[in-house]
Order: sequence, then C-alpha cells, then structure tokens
Amino acid sequence: MGRIRLESLRKSYGQVEVLKDINLEIEEGELVVFVGPSGCGKSTLLRQISGLDRPTSGNIFINENDATNVSAADRGLAMVFQSYALYPHMTVRQNLAFGLQNAKMPKAEMDERISAAVEMLEIGPLLKRRPGQLSGGQRQRVAIGRAIVRDPTAFLLDEPLSNLDAELRVSMRAELSALHARLGATMIYVTHDQVEAMTLADRIVVLRAGKIEQVAPPITLFEKPVNKFVAGFIGAPNMNFLTLDDVQPVLGNVGVPAGATMTGIRPQHLSPAETGLDMTVTLVEALGTETVIHGVLGSGATILVTVPGHVKTSKGEHMTLNVDPAHLHFFDADELRVEAA
Amino acid sequence: MKAITFLTRRRGGDTWHWTDVVTFAWLGFGLIIMFGPAIWLVMSSFKSPAQLAEFPPTILPYVSETVEVPVKGTMKELPLYTVTTEGEAPRELAEVRRVGIIANMVDPADPETVIKVNINDRTPVRRVGLALENYAKPLRDFNFGLYLWNSVFVTGVATIITLITNSMAAFALSKYDFRGRNAVLLLIVATLMIPISVNIVPLYSVVSSLGLLNSLWGVILPTVATPTGVFLLRQYMLTIPDELLEAARMDKASEWQIYWRIILPLTAPALAVLAIFSVVWRWNDFLWPLIVLSRKELFTLQVGLNTFAGELNVQWHFILAMTVATMIPVVLVFVFLQRYITAGIAGTGLK
Repeated sequence: MGRIRLESLRKSYGQVEVLKDINLEIEEGELVVFVGPSGCGKSTLLRQISGLDRPTSGNIFINENDATNVSAADRGLAMVFQSYALYPHMTVRQNLAFGLQNAKMPKAEMDERISAAVEMLEIGPLLKRRPGQLSGGQRQRVAIGRAIVRDPTAFLLDEPLSNLDAELRVSMRAELSALHARLGATMIYVTHDQVEAMTLADRIVVLRAGKIEQVAPPITLFEKPVNKFVAGFIGAPNMNFLTLDDVQPVLGNVGVPAGATMTGIRPQHLSPAETGLDMTVTLVEALGTETVIHGVLGSGATILVTVPGHVKTSKGEHMTLNVDPAHLHFFDADELRVEAA
Repeated sequence: MKAITFLTRRRGGDTWHWTDVVTFAWLGFGLIIMFGPAIWLVMSSFKSPAQLAEFPPTILPYVSETVEVPVKGTMKELPLYTVTTEGEAPRELAEVRRVGIIANMVDPADPETVIKVNINDRTPVRRVGLALENYAKPLRDFNFGLYLWNSVFVTGVATIITLITNSMAAFALSKYDFRGRNAVLLLIVATLMIPISVNIVPLYSVVSSLGLLNSLWGVILPTVATPTGVFLLRQYMLTIPDELLEAARMDKASEWQIYWRIILPLTAPALAVLAIFSVVWRWNDFLWPLIVLSRKELFTLQVGLNTFAGELNVQWHFILAMTVATMIPVVLVFVFLQRYITAGIAGTGLK
C-alpha cells in the first residue's frame, strides 16, 4: 500500500507563499518525480508529505487516511536526504538498525531485514565502518539502505544524486530505477535535473513558483507540454521559441490554430534543407554524436539546432532549416498550449 | 635533542635577527611572570617556618645542618654554625644554648669545652633540603582524606549535573525554534556580567530557606547552571546539521532519543571542554563553600586550607604545602587534557 493524495495544500512562511493550492494523487507503486527550477517549492512539498513540516492549509492522505496532523515518525514513510544525513558516530550497521530499534522491533526480525537490505545494496563489507570512512557512492547506498530496512509505505528522495560525480550519478540512477522495479514501492523523487526526471519517472510533476504546471508521463511532457514554461524546461537543449513571422517560411500550408502567437520548435526537430528558415551560424558545438549549432534568424531571434553526427559549418555561414510541421508547438498570448487545427 | 633544536631555533639562522632578541626576551618575561609564582610556591612549601620568615627570601629551600653531640652525658641534636672570630680561621661549632647575644658553643670534636661566641660572628651551616614535615604533619593530623573526598564529591557531582543541564538547555536553544529563543539566550549570556559578590546574599537566603546550609548539595546546586557552558555547547550544537535530527525523526526517534543518542555523542568534544572547565572551577571554588559550610567534617580542601590561617597566627608552611597538594589534580587535568582545552576554545570561538 502506498497511495498518497494531496488536497489543496498550501504553505506560507510569513507573507511568502511557497506552495499554492497543490492537488495531486500518487498511485501505489508509482515513481513520481517533482522537478522544477530552484526555489519552485519541490523540496518544501516533499517536507510537507514527510511530516517534517506542516502545511498552512490543505490535507494529506496516505492510504486514504488523513495524515495531515500525524507526526513524521508515524506516517510510515522513509526519506533519503540530499546530504545523506547518516549518523556520523554510528557504524553502518547501527545506522541501519537505529530506526528499527526505535520501533522496538524484535532482534531476529531486525537482523533479517538488515541482511536483506545489505544483500540488495551490496554493502556487506561496509557494515562495521563509520560514514566518515565511506565514499560518496557508498554513503548513498547506506542512506537508501536505511530507508529500505524500514519497509516504508513510500520512499521520499530529496535530490539523492546531486552530491555524486557525473559518472556515479548515471550508474546510481540506473540502480535506483532497478530498485524501484524490484521493491515495487511508491517513490517520490525530487530533483532539478531533467535527465533524472525523464529517465526515472513514471510520472513527472513540473512545479514553478509553488504551483503544479503539469503532471504527465515523461514522453507526454516532451511531446505535449501544456505551456511555454514546461516546454522550455523539459528537453535539452531548450526549445526554440519563435514568433509566427519568424517561422512563416516553414509553416507552408499548416493551419495556424486560432489565438496562437508563438511557436516552439525543439532543436532536434530542425534539419538542414533546401528551403525554409535562413539562419546565420554564430557558434558550432561539436559533441561527437551530435552537433549543436547556434544561430540568428533574419529578424534577430536566436535559434538552436542539433544535428546528428558531424556537420561541416562554421561561424558566419548561412544554413537553411526545415521542420516537420507535426513537431511544431503553438502557444497563445497567455503562454498556454494551443493544439494545431 | 629535538626539543633543544626546536627551542633554540632562530629566524636569523646562526646569527641573531632583532626579532629573535625581542621574541626570546618577551617569552622569557612571560615565562617568569607566569611560571615564577608557581615555582616559588612549590619551593616555599618545602621551607621551615623560620626560613619563610627570613629576609631577604631565598628561592631554594634550605635545612640547617645538625650534629649529634653528648651534652652532660646525653646525646643531643645541635645546630651547626660557622664561627668567624677575628684573628682565627673559620670553624664549625655546635650551639648548645643562646643567652642574649652570646651563644654557648662547643666543638663537636671536643664537647667538654664551652666557647662563648657573639651571635653576629656566626652563620648557620645550611644545605639545600626539604622540610617534608610541612606535608607529613598536615596529612597526618589535618583531615586531608575527608576534605579530599568532599572536594572530589562536589567536583564530580557538580560537573555531571552541569554537563546534563547545560547540554539540555543548549539543545533547546540551538535546535528548537520557539518564540523568544534569542531573548532567552541573551538573558543567559547576560548573567555573565553579574559578579558573584552581587549574588551572594540572595543566593544565601535561597539556599538557607531550602535547608541546604551545611550540606554539600548547597555547594553543588547553585553552581551547576553556567552561562559559559550553555553558550559553549550551543555554539557547538549549531554546527550539527538539522538534517541529522530530521533523519532521526523519520527513524521514529523520540525527542529524548534525539538528544541522548544523536546530539550528545556528536557534542562530545565540546562536552569534554566544559567538563575540564567545570572540574577546574568547582575544585578551586572557595568563597561559596566557605559561606555554605561551617561544619568541619563537610569542608572541601579549599575551605580546609583556610583553617591554617588563624586569627593570631598563620601557619604559612602548612598552607603552602597543602596548597601544592590541592593543586595537583587540577595541574594533572591541564597537563593531560590541555590539547582538548585549546582545541575546544578555538573551536567554539569562546574567550
């Protein structure tokens, strides 16, 4: 069991409203990622769910029971902190056992749970060491282990990979994904890294300034962003936003939906062609597998293009770009998505 | 050898740079100012009462040379003197008795012949030696063991209570957010500005009405809440990340368990510093125990020492010797734990 429901949740610190009317349902066994720029309230939202912080108004339901005023200890959730927050004066084993001792669990069951978690995370040789003697990746595993032994209703992970180096982050990401598949537990994962969000999530919650912008599976988010913010936030490099006049040459006979004032084109969807947009190249970034070309249009608008493989071009040269009209996104004056007719 | 190379190291290498001269002079001056009185105390504690009254005083303790001489058929210990009379070589004579300014002296080799000598013509024969009876007599007659136990009890119990109460206060002041937290802290720290002499009369009436006069608890309880300790521990606890406490809360730990199993072990270095301070403070306390304790069997060492100072005469030799004895535990604390003290003071940014 691990259903979590948030109902018109609000949180203010004095005059500052950090969370504004959050409504969200998280299904059992789902891995939901909260993503957004810094200061968007994603960590605050996680803290409300964990019980470490109380919302100003609104309700939190865990398995359909109102948990709004239940203490953090009694919500049955486990949290993995960004800093890992391992107890520095205890050995790895004591770290794992601490929560179980507090729950007054019989020793036999405790040993069983610890050895199961230790085996799953392959941290057996570390049991007698203290956190100070572990590497970042090992600490991360222990922190996850401390959550697993508690057998929680849901896991809350607060930017768990942000303190690891890039290489380790990729492998831990894969492990977390495998772990989720194996445990089948509900997980809520907070990150500002959209790659983590895209690769791990069953559903992504995009937050901005304390409001949910869109909740959707990763691919839906990529293909049908509900507004300009989500469109710009998801996908790397960022989507190009151009006025209708700028893209006139490629619109062809595509019907511009009523109310649309702006189009969005992902850099990957632009390709060199005979006719189309005329761009002056300002910078070429060859990444090997793909080439990112920065340029300006005649109107002065900047544009990014990624082309697979290697492209021979250099600063000052002209390129003509075309786009499949199916990949055009339209936004109205309020920056909301407008579906093509 | 290493120590000597270290101590004689100079900035100028083989020659003397002017900063070397200033440094050595300044450090030497400091050494004398700080260490001189301690050396003098220890040396003086081995001097006899007569020598303590001498002027000019000497640094080293001396004892008079004596000799066994048969006087009227019985052997007697007599003090030896060097006698220098005009026209004769200096000789060593033993003094039998003194009458006014004339001393009756005998030659130890010829004890039958009494020689009369003017006291200005003789000087005592002395060698460097220790008057150990300064220590032996009070240790035997003075209730040293009892006073030592009282001191140990007061110091030990007061230190334990100090550590527990101060760390609880520091925990609340550093890790809980409540209205008026800073005001409370300010109030606690502000009490540092109130000297004990201002407090003593009200404190006495409180302790008296609680019936704690003439009880060691009356000495212990008023001293356990120290603003210095609360402040020192709070500053240290601020460096413990809040996420650890939150992790413990998620781990179903009660607030007491958080304090006892997370905060206290992590505050150990600061607790060690406070323990050292507290031991030194309580061991050296004099005024407050003197006020509270009036029954002799309850005296702490410091108050006990005071009994050597009578209304009419002060037994300096005993006071000095027992002062040295009572200093030993505190000196040992400093010798063995001084690196914690310096680390602690540096780490907490105190004083």
